Amino acid sequence: MNAQLLQPAFVDPVLDAQRGFRGALKALAEPGLIQSLPAAPSLEGLAPATYALCLALLDVDTPLWLAPAFDTPLIRANLAFHCGCPLTTRREEAAFALLGEQDLSDLGGFDHGNDRYPDQSCTLLVQLPDLESGTGLGWRGPGIETVRRVSLPLPHGFWLERQRLEAFPRGLDVLFAAAHQLIGLPRSTRIAEELA
Amino acid sequence: MENLMSLSPRQHWIGVLARARLCELQPHADALRDVEYQLIRAPEIGMTLVRGRMGGNGAPFNVGEMSVTRCVVRLADGRTGYSYLAGRDKVHAELAALADAHLQGTQPSLWLSELITSLAAAQAERRAQKEADTAATKVEFFTLVRGEN
Repeated sequence: MNAQLLQPAFVDPVLDAQRGFRGALKALAEPGLIQSLPAAPSLEGLAPATYALCLALLDVDTPLWLAPAFDTPLIRANLAFHCGCPLTTRREEAAFALLGEQDLSDLGGFDHGNDRYPDQSCTLLVQLPDLESGTGLGWRGPGIETVRRVSLPLPHGFWLERQRLEAFPRGLDVLFAAAHQLIGLPRSTRIAEELA
Repeated sequence: MENLMSLSPRQHWIGVLARARLCELQPHADALRDVEYQLIRAPEIGMTLVRGRMGGNGAPFNVGEMSVTRCVVRLADGRTGYSYLAGRDKVHAELAALADAHLQGTQPSLWLSELITSLAAAQAERRAQKEADTAATKVEFFTLVRGEN
């Protein structure tokens, strides 16, 4: 590990990690609703919200799969120092995966959990340029009263891939992050018609 | 007990800094802080599990937990200093980390002679004193020979 690359992380490690964890919980409890993490630190290549999720969720028990775009010495050194998480190159071993929008058309290989322990699946952390510039879709399901309009800028391939891998209760939960904001997409959310 | 020959110089001074008393480090505090630095990991208190081996070579067992304070600093020129010490003294942890960073710099001999040597001498003296006190209480046990053979 190159000590020259290390940078400070959370200003208040305990409270900031709790805020990050709370943000992730709320994002998955109310899919499609934007949560904000104002006090998150930033790291070159990682948006503040993405980094805050990493710092709050990753530790020595959670192997992380890094997409090639994020596999820089700076990110490796800081995640190893502040989180202590092992990095894996095998998707099936990963408890968390860090992806960019270009990695979303192939989600094969990640652990879906099993029928007895669906909670053991891999959680995807996806960094996007923003959360509101895409086509509007109607989301339905637990945590949404009727229908919620969400405009994530995602390639069409992602929705096809998500549909292909669907095998409830197994599945993948996704947290989308951009700048200081966060949106959750749990496996239980159903994507309805395109809204104009 | 402690074989200094098998320790690297850095292991030696990190150990000396961890065992030093805060009142011994305080006179050097101004010199240690007289540099631009940032806290990569601000001083934080935590617990660590201490494990031991019966007789030094038996199966490992858990002795118990102890409080530990650790800190990592980085000087403006990129050198990083680490400290881990027993107890809950955050000021001590920060000063020890700064000293570790300075000792890796261009003038380690200056810091070694000014700081580490005197700290190590004080610790050796304390240790010798304690060992002398303990030696005075030593009891020799012996068994009377029984008249069986």
